[in-house]
Amino acid sequence: MATTMDPDSAPERDSESAAKKNARSSLSDSELASIFEADALAYLDQLYGTALRMTRSPADAEDLVQDTYAKAFAAFRSYEQGTNLRAWLFRILRNTFINNYRKAQRQPSSGPSEELTDGQLLDLEQRNSGGVRSAENEALERLGDDEIAAAMATIPEDFRTAVYLADVEGFSYKEIADIMETPVGTVMSRVHRGRKALRALLTDYARERGLLVEEDQRESAGSIQERAGESA
Amino acid sequence: MSCGRPHETPCTEVLAAMGAYVDGEVGAEEFRLIAIHITECSPCESEEQAYRRVQALVVRAVRRQVAPETLRAKVRTNLMGHNTGDPEASE
Repeated sequence: MATTMDPDSAPERDSESAAKKNARSSLSDSELASIFEADALAYLDQLYGTALRMTRSPADAEDLVQDTYAKAFAAFRSYEQGTNLRAWLFRILRNTFINNYRKAQRQPSSGPSEELTDGQLLDLEQRNSGGVRSAENEALERLGDDEIAAAMATIPEDFRTAVYLADVEGFSYKEIADIMETPVGTVMSRVHRGRKALRALLTDYARERGLLVEEDQRESAGSIQERAGESA
Repeated sequence: MSCGRPHETPCTEVLAAMGAYVDGEVGAEEFRLIAIHITECSPCESEEQAYRRVQALVVRAVRRQVAPETLRAKVRTNLMGHNTGDPEASE
């Protein structure tokens, strides 16, 4: 899994040629720690927020952020100045999450709600292939923040993280590709599919709460369910 | 779903690129073609609005969390640990 370029793996302390090129190599540990604290700790809230979305648990998120900073500092001496520090930190966070937390998370009933399976995700995505009525837009607007957060939490992690990094953290697809170590095309697909599933979930919530009344019987998705419910 | 009128860019292409379009991740020419299409085609325009709506809802609901102060303190303490000892030792 880890490659030689992976910041999650051991930093190249032995590589003299790499160290010579880097001004940080001459710094003392305490000088390095001061720089790290000033530069990297500025992203604490962002990393914590992302960790919280990934792990869906405040305790796990705190541990994940601490592990991330420990790994980042260990690699900070060989970190090349001019690299995107924020994206670099997020990549370490993501790698640490995958290596240390994701497996544990897959244990049943560890999260507040179960993640959707691939099949359920596909089903949701295909549901909303039709056009939108303004009624749907208005209904979604009336949903509570907790309902939206709950919908986010049920989207599979790869998709949730891609949507989160794009929408909340404002990373470009290229940066997300670096963080998630996937091609840009995959990022585009994850963001797209994640949002589609999210929208279908939110539309379901709105319908359940009676915020969305199907006026147009030609609309296939929800009304089939409703009709089935009525005839039962 | 389409408005039924012919367009320079087909609805399927526009809908497939909608996420990237909304995120400003398409090239200038593609951006122009999609923007023109959206002004001509109301189903695709609604689709664009829905995209932006969901995006705005996520941003509103999942706004950035503030890390607990205790976490900041713990990270600082860990750094000081590195600072006084061998960085390898704490891994």
